[in-house]
Amino acid sequence: MTWPEELRAAALVGTARHAAPSPPAELGVRPPEGLPAEELLLDQAALADAVIRAARIPRRLDPTTLAAPAPPDDCPQAQGEAARLLDLLLTQPPVGAELRTQLVADWLQYATASGLRVPHRLLPPLLTVADSKSSVAEHLHPAIGTRGRWLQGMLAGNQGSSDMPGEHQQAPAADDWAELAAADATTELERLRRTDPAAARRQLGEHWEGMAARERAAHLAVFATNLGSADEELLERALDSKAKSVRDTAAGLLDRLPDSARAARMAARLRPLLRLGGVLRQHLDVELPPEPDAAALRDGIPADPRSGEPDRLARLDAIIRGAPLDTWTAVAGRSPASVLALLKGETRVLEAIASTAALRADLEWVRALLDDRLDLRLLACLPPAEREERLLRHLRSGAAQPFALVEPLRSLPRPWGAPLAAAVLEQITAKNGGQLAVMLAGTLPAALPPEAAGECRQLLERSDDDAGRRRVLRDAVQYHSFRQSLTEAFR
Amino acid sequence: MCFMGRWSEDRVAGAAPDAASLAAARKLARPGPWSGTGSNDVLVWGKCQGSGKAPYEVSVDLAAPAYRCSCPSRKFPCKHALALLLLWSRGEAADDGVEAAGFAREWAAQRADRATVRERRQPEQPADPAAQAKRLADRLALMDAGISDFSRWLADLVRTGMASARTQPYSWWDGAAARLVDAQLPGLAEQVRAMGSDIHARSDWTDHLLHRAGRWWALTKAWRMREHLTAVELADLRVAIGWTVPAAEVQGTGALPGPWLVLGAHRSDDGRLQQQRTWLRGPDGRVVLLLDFAARSESLATPQLAGAVLDATVALYPGSAPQRAMFAGTVGPRGTAETLGGGSSIASALADESAAVALSPWRERHPVLLAGVCVCTAGSGWLRDETGDALPMVDAPLDSLLALTGGHPVDLFGELEEGRVRPLSVVVNGAVVTP
Repeated sequence: MTWPEELRAAALVGTARHAAPSPPAELGVRPPEGLPAEELLLDQAALADAVIRAARIPRRLDPTTLAAPAPPDDCPQAQGEAARLLDLLLTQPPVGAELRTQLVADWLQYATASGLRVPHRLLPPLLTVADSKSSVAEHLHPAIGTRGRWLQGMLAGNQGSSDMPGEHQQAPAADDWAELAAADATTELERLRRTDPAAARRQLGEHWEGMAARERAAHLAVFATNLGSADEELLERALDSKAKSVRDTAAGLLDRLPDSARAARMAARLRPLLRLGGVLRQHLDVELPPEPDAAALRDGIPADPRSGEPDRLARLDAIIRGAPLDTWTAVAGRSPASVLALLKGETRVLEAIASTAALRADLEWVRALLDDRLDLRLLACLPPAEREERLLRHLRSGAAQPFALVEPLRSLPRPWGAPLAAAVLEQITAKNGGQLAVMLAGTLPAALPPEAAGECRQLLERSDDDAGRRRVLRDAVQYHSFRQSLTEAFR
Repeated sequence: MCFMGRWSEDRVAGAAPDAASLAAARKLARPGPWSGTGSNDVLVWGKCQGSGKAPYEVSVDLAAPAYRCSCPSRKFPCKHALALLLLWSRGEAADDGVEAAGFAREWAAQRADRATVRERRQPEQPADPAAQAKRLADRLALMDAGISDFSRWLADLVRTGMASARTQPYSWWDGAAARLVDAQLPGLAEQVRAMGSDIHARSDWTDHLLHRAGRWWALTKAWRMREHLTAVELADLRVAIGWTVPAAEVQGTGALPGPWLVLGAHRSDDGRLQQQRTWLRGPDGRVVLLLDFAARSESLATPQLAGAVLDATVALYPGSAPQRAMFAGTVGPRGTAETLGGGSSIASALADESAAVALSPWRERHPVLLAGVCVCTAGSGWLRDETGDALPMVDAPLDSLLALTGGHPVDLFGELEEGRVRPLSVVVNGAVVTP
């Protein structure tokens, strides 16, 4: 044992049971004779303390653990008021959490537009906010600059890598792809699918035979991105698969291709089920489909369950979802709107048609369907301006429950147009509008256009006992005044 | 009276007694409830409408700094004073007003009067040499007894072994510390109390306790031979056992003129006591340490910003370098430094520390200005100089250091403590910043 080890051992068990060592001769220290054991130990402890502290030497680091320094930033950093406002938002936000998030995202967009970047010292608090707020995270680049990207890499533990996100995403060769673990292979295929759908199709087609069912299903699901008629052949191949998960995935994708062979087969199954009825031929009767044959089963129509009654309505749903929507207009000889009128009361059928129209973003049907239903999936198909105009019409008609409008309003791009803003303000300041105001609290401040801020201020000055509503209006006013400061700071 | 300049928000935040007060102040820091606000070189004042009928009258003396508010809060400064300062620091209120409000002027005058009275009274205090000598003799006897008791306690500690000391409850350590306090040895008491928790909190507790016990033992021996120590050695020993030199005695000694550059500052809070260390460097390169203490509920003196150049004179406490110091007279801002000057390599910084430890083995930390060091992220962070030498860091805000330096070599000021460096300021892009 070395001297420090002996010293430690003696001190741990105590000098009553373990003799104190003698100091090493190299130190040139000799203890006096006849010292009690505990004093001998304490003397040496004092010596060890002084020796260690007076003899510290630098350590060496493994040079391979050193990170490459950040490349220089190429755009100027935000200065003065702009930097101060970001500092304020990050370190002592004068507004609530939701507004703060929105304003930080706004700041980043202003900076990007002005070609400025976040001051280095504010990067850590900004990245912390971005960790939990995706709306901030998505505007980080390019405002955080080279240093910010480098810091992100360092914090993510990519030591030694100063690669920019996106740069290292070189496509591996096809041979490599087959070697990847299943989840990584799916991710890689998804990336390829976004940039080069045909290459992704070739990739999967080449390796199709050697794959397990689970891999096939997972890989195929990726084809939802950039789906097109060129994919039909591979999807038909998948319908022949033994595994139900693969067939279901393929059928779900084929539902989105109304010009496919499968859609034609579904149309052939749907047509015989439809018949114009009623004395004045004002109703479209829909019959339930017969037992599925082998071809129908292959196309994804549910088989008989092992026990109990077969779900014939589910079979009808599958046929409706697979068939082209113009099957309906062809049989009835009328427009989509008239077809929907003929189907009045057939809620299940209408629902299947609505989900099909939404899935295919078939605007003619979407518009017809939206005339008497407010459906988020359908609304999402419309261009933003039209969506906003639809909502405005619903609001003004007073037909819809205001609460049903909350989700559609939240999903609209911001800021809203002045007419919608005015209509919503009118709703929330109506006698019972307080609750709607609270439900829209997170959305409203940024959704109202700057011109509406003045009206909010006026509304706020009116006496109002509804604390929730006052808070929402106050938030809107605060948001716009802070945004005004941002505009001026970046001018 | 010098012009104090507008405070930064950080400086206001630093004056807050606790986070809750600051949060409450931030809520109040909007123009709504305020009226009659104003400021001049030394005073900021205003009235704040609270829940009561009459608004609270708030005044802040920036020079001292001192706070007054007519509210019943026991927090000091209260949220009203903080909110007023926040508004003023942002330029949102109290922007001007040459004529101070009546209540503020009255208060400032009273304060000035009292200060004058206090100053006058001090020298007139009856100095009875005989009584003073007796007090000193009594104190020394008490301390001698305390030191003897403590050396017996140390001998017991190593006789029964550190393993069994670790099984002792906290009250055992606390009891030993309490006896040291009674014996007027509060510096030692503080260390023993800290050991009561360190022995469970630290993975290297065996070596830590062994070396501390050795250092305490050496202290007891040094105390017994204090008559043979030089004045400087004795002063260092007094610091270690906690026998402080009264500030009034230090004020009386010669003062060193400035300008003084603030190298860096650190605040710590052990739950009972807050401490603020500020390292300054004078025109001749001498580095001194300002120490401020405050109890849990009080607020520390306003922190000085790293890189600030202060027009001030300091008086030195006795002891070896780097010495403790205090401001003598007023402190005025002169400007900001773009750099901290030339630093040293890690090897020579450690050699400097060794030399300081050799002079004063009781010293816990040593200031270092390192030149061209890179921040490395391994473990809890390292600094590496251009020769490849490295030092681990302690209490390092790694993400902030990385963001500021980008992994490039920078000059960095910090404190060496137990072989690690605590970074307090870095020089980037021609400015001294606190990470």
